[in-house]
Formats: sequence, C-alpha cells, structure tokens
Amino acid sequence: MIPQLVTVGYRRRDGRRLRLYVPVLPILLVLSPLLLIAVLGGLVACLATRVSPLGALRGTGHLLWALPGTRIEVEQGRTAVLVSVR
Amino acid sequence: MNEQRRQILQMLVEGKITADEAERLINALERDQPESPPGATSRPKPRPKYLRVLVTSEDDFDGPGRINVRVPLQLLRAGVRLTSLIPPQALTQANAELRRSGVPIDLTQLKPQHIEELIEHLDDITIDVDQPDAKVQVFCE
Repeated sequence: MIPQLVTVGYRRRDGRRLRLYVPVLPILLVLSPLLLIAVLGGLVACLATRVSPLGALRGTGHLLWALPGTRIEVEQGRTAVLVSVR
Repeated sequence: MNEQRRQILQMLVEGKITADEAERLINALERDQPESPPGATSRPKPRPKYLRVLVTSEDDFDGPGRINVRVPLQLLRAGVRLTSLIPPQALTQANAELRRSGVPIDLTQLKPQHIEELIEHLDDITIDVDQPDAKVQVFCE
C-alpha cells in the first residue's frame, strides 16, 4: 500500500513545536498535473541514459509501496526532528 | 518462566539494561533454546520487518543527542533492486573512481542474486558500538 500519511515534526530550541500531517493521496491528486510532467521528464531521462523505463517505474513503485513504517527521529539537546510515514 | 528469562527481566527492572536490550536478549535466548520435542507443534520464527538504528550521545555543548531510525527491510530490498537499473557505462565509471580512491571493487561482478542473498541475511545483523559518550545499535526487529 502506498503511504497515506506523512508526519513531519519539529521542536525548536525555545521549546516551540510544529507538527505537520501530510495526507499523501489528496496531495498527489492536487499535484497530479505536475506529477504527469515529472513522469514524462523521468521517461526522457530513462531514454537518454538507456535505462529501462518500465524497470525504473516498477522500482519506483516498489520503493513507494515499501515506505510505510519508516520513522526517523533526531534529537539534539532541545531541538528535534521527526519524520514518520504511515 | 525459566531462570534465564527471569534474570533478564530482573536486570530490566533494576535498570541495568534497556527495554530494547532485554528484548534482544530474550530473542537470543529463544534462538538458543533446544529443539522442541517430536510431536510438539513448532512455531516458525517471525521474520524481522524493520532495520533499526539507535544512536545516543552526550554532548557537553548541545546536550544529549538521540537518533532513532526505523527503516522497513522491504524498503532496503526495493532500493537495492533499483541498483540493477544502473547502466553498465555508469558502473564502469564508478569502478574507475573506486580504483582511483584505493578501493578496487568491481561493481559489475555484483549480480542481482548476490544482492538478494545479502538482503536475505540482513535479518540477522546486530551491531553494537559502545563508547563512554556514545552508543550505536543496529539491529533488525
């Protein structure tokens, strides 16, 4: 399953917190025109570098499908960053 | 509950080990258990799903630091499979650069089946680095 929710959290040195919840599917739908251009750009890049476009598409799909469950937390003193993919 | 398991839990209660360490010790204990008697139902060991990297450090200037990364093993597999898309001319250039840097590795000899084997055995990886002011743990869970 593709990622559904990406959470980005940030805690500043002064203790202020910022947490963003990014719903992936609605964002993808909104950005779909740009996504189409990106796919076309990727296709051209594949042809230019003689990489199989189908293989690249499949590989990217596998990466996307495997992303849920990823969690990265970095804390240093009072500052912290969190990225979580669900 | 057997004696060794009880000792591990006791160390956890006393704060001598962390919860992660206790879990890994118990897992290791279960791995070392003798084969179950014939006739008993054998439960297959669940395969790890994530690669965890934990780093804790003490910094006098910035305060304590902590890095906690959890990456699905499936993501590593997908990423490594992407390497099969690298065109041969790029591999040749990478080989030349590696040789120039004193690392004579021939990447063209790395076949997809070798990479698959590497990933399959990644499940058993456990790395612990202890220093007075920092600790690094890499393991699968």
